[in-house]
Amino acid sequence: MKSILDKLERAGRLAENTALVVLLAAMVGVSVFQIANRQLFGGSFSLSWADEFVKIIVLWLAMVGSIAAARDNKHIRIDLITHILSGPVVAWAKIIVDVFAAAVCAVIGWHAFRLIREEISWGDTIFTDVPLWIMHAIVPLAFALISYQFVVRVMRLVHELFSAPGEETES
Amino acid sequence: MIVVSLLLLMLAILGAPLFAIIATSAMVGFYNNETELMTIALELLSISQMPILTAIPLFTFAGYLLSECDAPKRLVRLTNAMFGWMPGGLALVCLAACAFFTAFTGASGVTIIALGAILYPALKQDGYSDRFNLGLVTSSGSLGLLFAPSLPLILYGVVAEVSIDDLFRAGILPGLLMLVMLSGYSIWVNRENRKPMSTFSIREVGAALREAIWELPLPFVVLGGIYSGFFAVSEAAAITAMYVFIAEVLINREISFRELPRIIRESMMLVGGILMILGVSLASTYYMIDAEVPQQLLAFVAELVSSQTSFLILLLLFLLVLGAILDIFSAIVLVVPLILPIAAGFGVNEVHLGIVFLAAMQLGYLTPPVGLNLFIASYRFEKPIMHVYSATFPFLVILMLSVLLIAFWPELSLVFVADP
Repeated sequence: MKSILDKLERAGRLAENTALVVLLAAMVGVSVFQIANRQLFGGSFSLSWADEFVKIIVLWLAMVGSIAAARDNKHIRIDLITHILSGPVVAWAKIIVDVFAAAVCAVIGWHAFRLIREEISWGDTIFTDVPLWIMHAIVPLAFALISYQFVVRVMRLVHELFSAPGEETES
Repeated sequence: MIVVSLLLLMLAILGAPLFAIIATSAMVGFYNNETELMTIALELLSISQMPILTAIPLFTFAGYLLSECDAPKRLVRLTNAMFGWMPGGLALVCLAACAFFTAFTGASGVTIIALGAILYPALKQDGYSDRFNLGLVTSSGSLGLLFAPSLPLILYGVVAEVSIDDLFRAGILPGLLMLVMLSGYSIWVNRENRKPMSTFSIREVGAALREAIWELPLPFVVLGGIYSGFFAVSEAAAITAMYVFIAEVLINREISFRELPRIIRESMMLVGGILMILGVSLASTYYMIDAEVPQQLLAFVAELVSSQTSFLILLLLFLLVLGAILDIFSAIVLVVPLILPIAAGFGVNEVHLGIVFLAAMQLGYLTPPVGLNLFIASYRFEKPIMHVYSATFPFLVILMLSVLLIAFWPELSLVFVADP
């Protein structure tokens, strides 16, 4: 059980990093190409899909970045309680808020999934012939994975809370 | 509804991710309003419909790259060569370098980590008191928020639908005012400390310039490009990202390709965090406008205050409290849509409002109990948090005075704005 989770953790991290590197490189590359083309060649090599493409990448970067932030616990929060309290109270507070976050993300993910189903029936396209819903499908996927990250952390916190001091509590 | 709000408030204080809190309040609102809950996903998708948002990942990436290489060291050496000979010189170096660096790295706390580590020991060595150093470095960490191309300025422009070029122009003088007032205070405090400062050497300036040769074009390209209107903001962001990558990774080779995925991950986690909060706030704003919350707020505020002056005072008090509990990005996306119509009702220009908002929120980085920079400094310099509170306090007072000036002197913000 433990080793499967560890493998998933490593594979997930690698997938996120790869996606982020590729997305960012594509964004920089296409943007700079467009500027160079306009300033140097008077727009003769203009990519018609570039503007739409870059805007979709922002969405993907935001979603993959959010998954990564959920894994590394970097989402923006009011970080008060860990500074004024310590001990099991803090652990319980973390468990409560992470259960809440997991549930909220699951609900958002579900409604995003419903929206994608609707979009499939609308049949809108982007870049002339790519179905728009494929580009938007990252949203339900991301919320499912973010929710999963919070579930994993709750499991880890509960495990740490109930394993007696002295027992292994690897992080 | 009140029970739900209280519950959410409690969860937020316990440390729940703010995007989950905002999303829940939006969804509860939709549910009560009988609005289709898919709306929240639709609003999230509008992240992909704002062209200006491309600037956020690009500038953030460039800022993280700059903070990871030796650029901070070179920046300190250069400013020291130029200003180090003046009385209180090193304090001025600290303020100027931090302001410059924060503008580029988007006020996410990296300034204290990247520059503080160099400046704090240097200040100590030059005979400044430990208390002064700690206060100076901590409060410098959010200076420069008002200078282009800082992320909060861009985000305010996105949320308030104000021209970002105008905001960049409007931030110049108020940002300089903060810088000048803190510099004046630093010189005054250290008027006794007149031990021989480093002497001015044109040679050292030359050497420092040569060392920083690859970073030097950056401010000209970015600031010159934006202020002259040659580049759009998102174009300047793309050029900056590409340029910093070429300069630091390919030419200076201070960052290896193996480190890049980590740095990209770090920067994109911040971007993901900000854009997620933006996305869910769009949903909660949609609900609040639907429920006519701004109108009710305006009516409520209009009963409390009658003039623009009293409105601004109320606003500043509110922002001070807000800044102490909420980070600047969440505050912008959540609160700006609500106060914009109210401010307009009292005749406050929206560009000026943005500058006042950000200037006041900058204080939030330094206000107990949860000011971000206080914790970063406490952690980074291994000082008790109460010690950091008290060391920062005089600087906080100076900054408050400057915020008052900025709020009640709109011309300071609006003089460079085309038609306010």
